[in-house]
Amino acid sequence: MILGLSVYAAGILFVVLTAYKAATYAKMPLHGRMELYPVPSERGRHIYGGSYMEEVEWWRKPHEVSKVTEIIDMMKEMLFIRKLFDNQRPFWWMSYSLHLGIYFMIAWTFLLIAGAFTDLAGLSVSAHASWWTVFLYYLTIITGAVGFILSTAGALLLLVRRIIDPILKKYTTPQEYFNLTLILAALVSGIILWSPDLTFNAARQFTADAITLSIIPNATLVIHLIILEVMFIYIPISKMSHYVGKYFSYHKVLWENAPNVVGSHMEMKVKNALSNQAKTKWSAPHMQPPAAPPKEK
Amino acid sequence: MVNQRDMKPQDLGRPCEQLTQLDEVMPLSFPYDQPGMEPDFPDVKPEWREKYCTSLDGCVGIDTLRRPENENMKKEFVQKFLNGLEKVFSDANSGVLQPLQLVFEYCAKCNTCSEACHIFKASGGNELYRPIFRAEVFRKIYKKYFTKGGRLYKKYAGGDIDLNWETVARLGELAYRCNLCRRCAQTCPLGLDNSLFAKEIRKIFSQELGIAPTPLHNKGTVLQLKTGSSTGIGKAAFVDMVEFLEDDIEDRIGRRIKIPIDKQGADILLIHNAGEFVAWPENPAAFAILFDEAGVDWTLSSEMMGYDSVNYGIWYDDAQAKKIILQQMQVAKALGVKRIVIGECGHAHKAAGVVADRMIYGEDKIPVESFLPIMLDLVRSKRLKFDPSKNNFPVTLHDPCNIVRQMGIVQPQREILKVIAPQFREMTPHGVANYCCGGGSGFAIMTSPNFPQFRNKVSARMKFDQILRAFADTIAVSSVPKYVCAPCSNCKGTIRELLKYYQATAKFNVQYGGLVELMVNALVSSDKPYLEFLAE
Repeated sequence: MILGLSVYAAGILFVVLTAYKAATYAKMPLHGRMELYPVPSERGRHIYGGSYMEEVEWWRKPHEVSKVTEIIDMMKEMLFIRKLFDNQRPFWWMSYSLHLGIYFMIAWTFLLIAGAFTDLAGLSVSAHASWWTVFLYYLTIITGAVGFILSTAGALLLLVRRIIDPILKKYTTPQEYFNLTLILAALVSGIILWSPDLTFNAARQFTADAITLSIIPNATLVIHLIILEVMFIYIPISKMSHYVGKYFSYHKVLWENAPNVVGSHMEMKVKNALSNQAKTKWSAPHMQPPAAPPKEK
Repeated sequence: MVNQRDMKPQDLGRPCEQLTQLDEVMPLSFPYDQPGMEPDFPDVKPEWREKYCTSLDGCVGIDTLRRPENENMKKEFVQKFLNGLEKVFSDANSGVLQPLQLVFEYCAKCNTCSEACHIFKASGGNELYRPIFRAEVFRKIYKKYFTKGGRLYKKYAGGDIDLNWETVARLGELAYRCNLCRRCAQTCPLGLDNSLFAKEIRKIFSQELGIAPTPLHNKGTVLQLKTGSSTGIGKAAFVDMVEFLEDDIEDRIGRRIKIPIDKQGADILLIHNAGEFVAWPENPAAFAILFDEAGVDWTLSSEMMGYDSVNYGIWYDDAQAKKIILQQMQVAKALGVKRIVIGECGHAHKAAGVVADRMIYGEDKIPVESFLPIMLDLVRSKRLKFDPSKNNFPVTLHDPCNIVRQMGIVQPQREILKVIAPQFREMTPHGVANYCCGGGSGFAIMTSPNFPQFRNKVSARMKFDQILRAFADTIAVSSVPKYVCAPCSNCKGTIRELLKYYQATAKFNVQYGGLVELMVNALVSSDKPYLEFLAE
């Protein structure tokens, strides 16, 4: 019962802490414009990095934006880590292996949940039943195997590279080694736990037990669960929450080029931001308010 | 001296006379691939070592950063820096809080940015100039002094650096080894901007410690706010210069043009970098010729702050930047113009067109546009007629980072060049992927003891190599003039110094200038060459 609840608690904490992190960034004050071109939402111009400022009297013309090109660029970054692919291919292989592996692991988790519900509904997930159970059965095996291999290989390679690369080594803190080690530990303990049964029937059974809060503990399972749960709670409060940060750095910094024109939403935001006076003051002489003129006697 | 390959961020405070020597710079292309084609770095004078912080790389960027006389002064300096560091993450710095927090927290140190940095590459991959080096020192200091937890936890989180006067002073100097071109941010897989650290360190030095390079602060923004221009030119002198310009135009093109000043209600208020009037009067003259021939309704302003578009504040001090922006807008509003057009000055484009966009609103905010779209409009509408054969020599285009990468104005200048310059060729890379000229963020005007050597040999090295490669077919043929078109005052100044330093004009006939001069040179209406090197 406690073990089952801990799984739910870790999952809920992951979501809540992630939301808190996102809210913290979202509530930060409006910052200066720092867009960098190409901005993918610039309709027709994003291909060469152009903007609406190439137009004469651009403020009199509609700002033509395309959500489609923005989403395509976003998906390229999310699904393929395109910038790393373009600019540092050797590192991309390792990083992409980890990230693609994680996507597979997320898919595997959902397949296990679907399989557990199917089992609980009385339809046994196996290689010989309805198309649905056969589909779940094989897809779970493939997804899980690929996920474990890719993510473990990626995490291991990234860790090894950080240890042996003379440049990266100089910049890596103990905390950053810990982050990669934690992921690796969760994956390796998962492999130790589930690899004896490559059909993942045991994993599906565990998922069903977790759903019904009736997990039957054993030492390997408890160790894996503790590591996994610590990882889920730790990710949103560490730099591994870059899935949150990346949204803001792209959408709110690099791609944010909405102009402050009369009557615009941005104008309201600027007005509000400028109405807030900072309480903290800088100390250099030129930062001090001008001295008041002497009072007349 | 620390072997640069072994150097790590913790070494910044290490006691030694000089951390690194710039002696393994990137090789240049033909014909500068031969020995003896460029001067060596001059030795650092002993008196500079006593007076300034030369202990980073032997160069001095901040001439106002002086070695303290005693230990107490050193301690006070370090404490003031820490006070400023804390303020960087406070409401005093709200205009940058979100992007700064993002890069502070999320940099994965994957090192992708290093390959994008022209200074790191040109230095021969010197560790000191790796974009994450400066960032990691900043992070380490902050974590050591402002992260909650015990000593062990701080070390675990990366707060493991010795802080002393030398660390802070070297960090201040290191902030002036980045052009703020933001090319690194363009390649970051997480969309983070490491140049922000350089900018924020500069801000701490200026806004908290009151220390900034003289050409940027005392002879830059302070002088501009006092006299109306960083050149120190007052209203009367400006009016005289415009009259001189009218005479000069008459000499050059054989007809007199009346340059409008303070024309109330004009469509366009054209604001130049006032340095143009002093160093390259042919540039504002060319604008006047083009606007006059096309019948544009425009004016210059002779009012305080109305005749100099520069705003050095955007490189080191937000408060100074804002003061300048607000006063420039007031001038435009008082004149009743419909729009402000910025002449050939990249950082002024960004200051008035992008930075100002979040500093002022409503009726006080006069729309700002680049000179490039309107020039293209005059070309497309045939209000200006060209004979491209007048520009029949190799021309390449430098893309100012502020106009191109940071504003997305890419095509107008290319469309114009395709009409007026039959031998136009791109640099590699170009457009939004361009390399900085090496003079960005103040380097172009920083002349303290030996900083120009750093600019010419390191920060502008990649640009010089690009120029050589763009003209590879004719570089050795000195009878063929080769024109580097740099539509930005600071870029132009940097390229001027580069060509002098490497004797590229004298030896290989590499010339430079803006875009509008090239346009005027190709005008059908003009009888003689406008470009001086053609007239010779």
